[in-house]
Amino acid sequence: MPFRLRLVRTLRRWHARIGFAALIFFVLIAVTGLALNHGAALGLDSRQVHSKWLARWYDIRQEQPPQAYRTASHLLVAANGRWLLDGSAVGEKMPHPLGLVEIGDLIVVGGESSLHVYRADGALVDRLDGYVLPRVPLKAIGAGEGELVVQTPAGPFSSADVLSWRPGAPKVVAWSRPTLLAASDREAYAQRLAPGISLQRVLLDLHSGRFLGRLGPLFFDLVAIFLTILALSGAWMFLAPRLRR
Amino acid sequence: MRARLLALVLGLCPAGQALAEVYQKPEAFVAEVFGTVPAPRVLWLSREVQAGAAAILGHPPPNLRQRYWSDGAKSVWILEEIGKEELITAGFVISQGHIDHVRVLAYRESRGQEVRDPSFLKQFAGAGLDKGDHLDRGIDGISGATLSVHAMERMARLALYFDRRSRD
Repeated sequence: MPFRLRLVRTLRRWHARIGFAALIFFVLIAVTGLALNHGAALGLDSRQVHSKWLARWYDIRQEQPPQAYRTASHLLVAANGRWLLDGSAVGEKMPHPLGLVEIGDLIVVGGESSLHVYRADGALVDRLDGYVLPRVPLKAIGAGEGELVVQTPAGPFSSADVLSWRPGAPKVVAWSRPTLLAASDREAYAQRLAPGISLQRVLLDLHSGRFLGRLGPLFFDLVAIFLTILALSGAWMFLAPRLRR
Repeated sequence: MRARLLALVLGLCPAGQALAEVYQKPEAFVAEVFGTVPAPRVLWLSREVQAGAAAILGHPPPNLRQRYWSDGAKSVWILEEIGKEELITAGFVISQGHIDHVRVLAYRESRGQEVRDPSFLKQFAGAGLDKGDHLDRGIDGISGATLSVHAMERMARLALYFDRRSRD
């Protein structure tokens, strides 16, 4: 058999083998690349993936919620920058809570430098931080005589509408204090409060190979070389007969 | 470095990290308008107002109540909206249903800071809403800052819409 014919057969055989082996990488790179190209429109950066195994894979420290904050009819549990208010997740990248207070129909969650105000159904009514707080950092929050009270380094401040503040506090203030959670509850809440990783980061890591760890990019470099060989061999098989004619 | 360069070539990551640039604190902006900081007022967003705000923004408003400041003649609205990936904070002064002036108070995107230039912002002065709650004039875009320009337009429309609803 002439050398040229043997070369073409060998090339065609290996082109098919490499092509089949590269199928999964073609699809992975194409799909993730397509999604990343439209990341802003798809809101990939704001979408979070919550999974305990993914957090372990990324070596993200997972904390169990040691305590909860309760009012007569509401419960707040927080861990990993996430809050569960009455069993529903109410946001990402949330601060560590200082307390939970009910003022009329409103639920107020206090952090060191912010107040989050919710309706009973969990809808966010308002977020107060910086200039709309009387002072920061907040040390504690509580309620007294229908007013919200915040404790600050400059003393307490009160508000009836969670909007405007007056210095001082009612005579009796019930400060919000955490209560310890049972071990079984801690585990159950930890499952629901797994840390979030942005979908954009996961897709970018899948696209670049970094998802597989330190050696992932090297592995994807190898895949890129194989894909290049595939393209060149395909081009050669397509063009060679035409050039000979 | 190699990976970053590759990502840049592939257009998969922004050219720089997002930096929060605070040009003026909101309370300073309010004080500049009124001479002092008046007590804040609130516009509660009824279902109808939420729907109107969502139609302007292209997404539901983040809060159910919106703070603003007013002395009866002028109102000040501090609003935030995402340009491409980060929030832009802007202050809008509304007088008699038209924009008096606008200022970008904080910009966090890595590109597109040109939206804070006075030459761009002065286009909003005097603008009002037409019947479809769009600005009654065109705003010239900025090359390379298209999404930030659109965010500024959405916030301008929202400030005018909120001002109108606060007077209903």
